[in-house]
Amino acid sequence: MPENPAGTIDVRNLVKVYPGGTRAVDDIDFVVNEGEFFGFLGPNGAGKSTTLKILATLLKKTSGRVTVAGHDVDHAPEQIRRNVGVAMQTAGLDDLAKAFDFLTLQGRLYGLRSPMARERASELLELIGLSSVAEKKIGTFSGGMRRRLDLVATLVHHPKVLFLDEPTTGLDPQSRFTLWDHLRRLNAEEGATIILTTQMMDEADRLCERMAIIDHGKIVAEGSPAALKGQVGGDVVTITITQPESPEERDALTVKAQSLADEQPYVSATARVQDGLAVTVQNGGAAVPALLRLLSDSDVPVSNLSVASPTLDDVFLQHTGRMIRDEETGGDEMNNAMRPWLGLSDGG
Amino acid sequence: MASLILQTWYIYLRNLRAWVTQPSQLLPAIFINVFLFVVFAAAFDNVSMLPGFPTESYVTFILPMIIVQAMVLSGIDAGFNLLTDDLSGYLNKLLLAPIYRISILLGVLLVSATRGAIQGLTIIIIGVFMGVTAVSGWPGLIAILVLGTIFGITWSCLGLIIAIRTRSVQATQSSFTFFFPAVFLTTAFMPKELLAGWFQVAVSINPVNYVLEAIRAIIIVGWVWQDILPGVAILIAMTAATLTATTILYRRATA
Repeated sequence: MPENPAGTIDVRNLVKVYPGGTRAVDDIDFVVNEGEFFGFLGPNGAGKSTTLKILATLLKKTSGRVTVAGHDVDHAPEQIRRNVGVAMQTAGLDDLAKAFDFLTLQGRLYGLRSPMARERASELLELIGLSSVAEKKIGTFSGGMRRRLDLVATLVHHPKVLFLDEPTTGLDPQSRFTLWDHLRRLNAEEGATIILTTQMMDEADRLCERMAIIDHGKIVAEGSPAALKGQVGGDVVTITITQPESPEERDALTVKAQSLADEQPYVSATARVQDGLAVTVQNGGAAVPALLRLLSDSDVPVSNLSVASPTLDDVFLQHTGRMIRDEETGGDEMNNAMRPWLGLSDGG
Repeated sequence: MASLILQTWYIYLRNLRAWVTQPSQLLPAIFINVFLFVVFAAAFDNVSMLPGFPTESYVTFILPMIIVQAMVLSGIDAGFNLLTDDLSGYLNKLLLAPIYRISILLGVLLVSATRGAIQGLTIIIIGVFMGVTAVSGWPGLIAILVLGTIFGITWSCLGLIIAIRTRSVQATQSSFTFFFPAVFLTTAFMPKELLAGWFQVAVSINPVNYVLEAIRAIIIVGWVWQDILPGVAILIAMTAATLTATTILYRRATA
């Protein structure tokens, strides 16, 4: 018997340790309600993909309890697969197949009879505007076309829940907007519960009703984008320091500026950013002259200064002390389906 | 059970389509078989005149070796196919579907078997044109095609085992170099009596040799069971062992 409504996700104390010891997911809890659009925001290697793979039954968890669409991942993985649609970071397409055949096979694997599967394939190609290339091999498609095809491939069986792992990474802005539109409609019109992972603040901001910020395998903040921004507690003053030649000097100046700012009563947080400092203050207008005076008195040359209401970038900064873009790229999460048995190689 | 068969069938058809629409996979395999056949037959033709040689037709004598080496080489393809789907992410898509996961493996193995059967058939047909005569007639030729195909499944399993363990196309391809002795340390070119002493020892402990000799016995001696059964028994044991190992590794890798 399902314990929860079909569209919900309930995760308790989820831990994933890869062979080799990497703790990719470190005791996280979250609940996603039916019909909700939920975002997982975090840098590469934060544990987003790992979490999604566990939810999608592609990867075994180390410990914890996970129910998806009312079914436990340990006890009823097949029931979960029947009810969810999953688009991984690497689009899982069959390059040698024609788009129509690929979708028809997807339909059949989800139990549709042949005429139904063909009808659904046409319908889905229509939906993403690829009807004209239905008989073309997928290998010839552009990046945007591949993403859209991969996305509709997850919809053949009208899933209640969708897991999308960085669905717009690598897309040009035009394709990204189109895809966002599709996702919004799926959520609003078909009532699909959607969990999306992203590294893009504006993507999370525009699409998600609620989101969790994940870093080093832990959820560091959770709430609606508006609520999270509200928690930043004031405006963010970004100070660009005039850059001297040597990196040591540059470093020293930034450290000096940061420690000065930290001492001020009106500053609630500071963090280093590209070429300078981000300072969170109660009132931006009042703080700017004070900050400028403080820095010029201490011989820190300021070349630019801006005040902004908080964005999700600031939320991330506040909770992790870093900008999401500062992270090195290069995912450490395994993208392939097969894992070497007993973890003999690339465990992590 | 019905749905397992159906799912396997869909995946099989997909794999088959991928194979036929890729002449780059099909043609080199056929070319090398025909090439080796023609070259070996021409180079060693006079060997059949040696005293103690069991048949007058060297082409007939060499035919089983051509089939055996084709099947060994085809093992690479099975591993290659699984890895291609793994690397492209398509394997994930299949694993996410509400299907028996074993159907994915079965789909790969069945296409390997089909490939093996087609290659074997091509070799036999070419052989017949080149003057191969089977004392057991067409039933004998069909029997060696069946045995050859089963032997091909064994090697496909080995290819899959290496692919799953290494997850590398290059490693899978190059490790097959180590299997060549299995083809050459046999009575492929000469009857055992005409081989050097150490070679005779190697031949007698090489399981592939027994399979080869069973296949050859069918076409040059006929239905003499004491010549055929040991090879068939070894073939069945090899196939059972490799299929079991492949299934276990695959289940672990995709669990």
